Amino acid sequence: MSNAAPTTRPEDTTGAANPDALLQADGIHRTYQLGQVKLNVLTDCSLHVADGEFVGIMGKSGSGKSTLLHVLGALDVPQRGQVRFDGQDVFAPESARRTAIRLLDFLSPFEKRRNGLRRRQFGFVFQFYHLLPELSVLENVLLPRMVAASTRAWFARREAARQDAAAILERVGLGERMKHRPNELSGGERQRVAIARALVHKPRILFADEPTGNLDAAAGRKIMELLSGLHKEGQTIVMVTHDPGVAEFADRVLTLERGKL
Amino acid sequence: MYKLFLTLRYLRSRKIAYFAMAAVTLCVAMVLIVMSVMGGWLDQLMWRAKNLLGDVIVENRSYTGFPMYEEFIAEISRWDEITQATPVIHTLGMLRFPDQPITRTVSVVGIRLDEADRVTDFRGSLFYEKFYPGTTTLAPARRPLLGLADTTLNSAVDGQPFRPPALPEPYAGALREARRRHAESGSSEPFDPQSTETETNRVMREWGGPQFPGVFEFVPSEPVLTGEPLPGMIIGRDIVARRESDGRYHRFSWLPKGINFSLTLWATSDSGMVDVTPTIAHFRYVDDSRTGIYDIDSRHVYVEFERLQQLLRMEEGERVDDGGRIAARCSQIQVKVREDVTDEALLALTQRMEAVYQRITQDPEAGLDVDELQMAASVEAKTWQQSQAHIIGPVQKEKMLVTLLFGIISLVAVALILCILYMIVLQKTRDIGIIKSIGGSASGVASIFVLYGAFVGLVGAIFGTGLGYVFITNINEIQDWLISWREDWRIWDLQVYSFDRIPDQMKVWDAIIVGVIGVAASTIGSLVAAWRAGTMHPVEALRYE
Ligand SMILES: Nc1ncnc2c1ncn2[C@@H]1O[C@H](COP(=O)(O)OP(=O)(O)O)[C@@H](O)[C@H]1O
Ligand SMILES: [Mg+2]
Repeated sequence: MSNAAPTTRPEDTTGAANPDALLQADGIHRTYQLGQVKLNVLTDCSLHVADGEFVGIMGKSGSGKSTLLHVLGALDVPQRGQVRFDGQDVFAPESARRTAIRLLDFLSPFEKRRNGLRRRQFGFVFQFYHLLPELSVLENVLLPRMVAASTRAWFARREAARQDAAAILERVGLGERMKHRPNELSGGERQRVAIARALVHKPRILFADEPTGNLDAAAGRKIMELLSGLHKEGQTIVMVTHDPGVAEFADRVLTLERGKL
Repeated sequence: MYKLFLTLRYLRSRKIAYFAMAAVTLCVAMVLIVMSVMGGWLDQLMWRAKNLLGDVIVENRSYTGFPMYEEFIAEISRWDEITQATPVIHTLGMLRFPDQPITRTVSVVGIRLDEADRVTDFRGSLFYEKFYPGTTTLAPARRPLLGLADTTLNSAVDGQPFRPPALPEPYAGALREARRRHAESGSSEPFDPQSTETETNRVMREWGGPQFPGVFEFVPSEPVLTGEPLPGMIIGRDIVARRESDGRYHRFSWLPKGINFSLTLWATSDSGMVDVTPTIAHFRYVDDSRTGIYDIDSRHVYVEFERLQQLLRMEEGERVDDGGRIAARCSQIQVKVREDVTDEALLALTQRMEAVYQRITQDPEAGLDVDELQMAASVEAKTWQQSQAHIIGPVQKEKMLVTLLFGIISLVAVALILCILYMIVLQKTRDIGIIKSIGGSASGVASIFVLYGAFVGLVGAIFGTGLGYVFITNINEIQDWLISWREDWRIWDLQVYSFDRIPDQMKVWDAIIVGVIGVAASTIGSLVAAWRAGTMHPVEALRYE
């Protein structure tokens, strides 16, 4: 945790694929059109994440950290730049890129691929937990497995999935609360459910967007201990935060400023 | 898999979905009730129409009529498909009520009672024939009077002995026979459920004497048959009796069975000329008939075919100028075919009949003159559907129209589903973002809400069909219950509708069709919301507050 080396400049230059990188972003531009005004949130962002790394991204509120994380996690589409996961492009070439969501998304190979990445390779943890209130803790954790499985496959693998979910809940210390509804849990517990949900399908990368941002210091500390424990077990993590105390847990910290890293 | 799972969860947690289901339930039930009542009405009407004139009628739609019918009937009766064919004469007449200043224009129908009965089950429509079987005849007969029996009974009122009323033979014996049959059938219905109580029967009920369906004139002497033998006339029931709103008929004491009616007729010559001097003929009211079609029962009287033919001078005769033969005429032939003849076969049969009729009449052997050949040329054979289209057609259209109207009203339920689902999608925006963040596709998320709509439709259709079924099968009881509160809450007024009961059958196919349309409409109602959910941007959905 001493490896806090904030650099405004990434070590790698854009362009060439880095063979060690699990995830590599090159020249990401993301702008929002607000009426007449064009808001450049990300301008030429590049970074790479190696397998097993814990990368922290720091920045002020509103600097575009969440936007960057969404692009890296294939939730959002940048106007320019490319993200490669495992050496493969996540977005269509810039000339053929669409940012709007189409209902018939299964017709577009890149959207299909992004859905697949989110299903199998990525896990997300958000600041506001984002659990489904109608579902129990166990069902919330099972949901990614359900989404990833066809109906037939689901019935065949339901028991295995249930065991995985129970194991991961045990791991985050909520083995006893599986039948509870999210609104019966504290903030720290809810965030731990969210982490369990993000990990139940054993993703290659865990994306965390200010996981402690909504918690008191003690609960936040527990979450961070959980994350660094997971990292020690080999989990690749990309975390966004504005709290230097939290960033300390990362192997490497990047700072986002004026749209650049 | 997650789609169905989340659909069911959202259904359970959103109480507002029950309103959508209730709306679909009510609409499905409503449309089914309308379809069943209208459809039942139409079926009854079709059945009556088929029974009214037989399966095929041959006519030239002229009061002049057409010749060579006997030869024609003889020929087609040899055909395998034909069960019975009978000639009929239609004309207009004035009916004068006995001893009353009442005259009405009527359609006079000349029939052969036995043959007509085999074609249209005509006897089944008669009143007196039902309680005095075998006594109704169009042949000349005398009038029965209710007299006093030669035995005594003790009055239930004061215990005094009295001589109960009695009918002359064959009426007394026929009534005994009908009573015996009714008792044997084990029916729980009263012997005569269709008539209001007459004065005689009310007194007899109080005194404990015998009951006599119908109205007979009473004389305090022996029961007798009286008067000149006069030909009989069967009168449409709505001419001689009044239909009450509960469907029963009230018969008047001044119109007893056997009373004398006069009928004024105008002969139409073979050249189509109407004779200016009317013919007046007297008939006995021997029975009344109810086909169930008001237009007919309030206008038609039936007399014997050969008698009417003579009165109208349509019988065979000799031409005055050249002594040639004039062929006898009728104005319609009613044909009954075997049960197993299909609609297409029936149509083919009518064409064959027309061809045969033309061959018979054009044969020089027949010796028809120009006028007669002209009459014959316009003779057509029609199936019962063709000839009754003017009765069936409007009701068919009405059924379609009413069903369509209620279907359009049901669009309200579709709009309701649209609004409710759109609302749910907005409420669930965050969830949608979450599902997409864990890899739910746009089409997958959309299908959650399509399934939702389909489910609302399915539940609504099932409950709606159930509700509709319960309502339809009990519709008469519901009406009876309403009437028990207030008489003017009678919806199905039997003075207006000719059927005794509101149609209370639901067709399986109607239920299936309405149910499928209900599910489809609800699904369509969910499409806008589903599209909105599917195309929602995951990041924006997650940021949504
Ligand atoms: N949908 C949007 N439309 C317009 N502006 C947006 C939208 N989403 C985010 N922004 C803007 O982009 C900037 C970066 O936002 P965000 O990535 O959430 O920052 P951070 O997570 O670092 O606080 C903010 O100024 C925000 O107002
Ligand atoms: Mg943020």
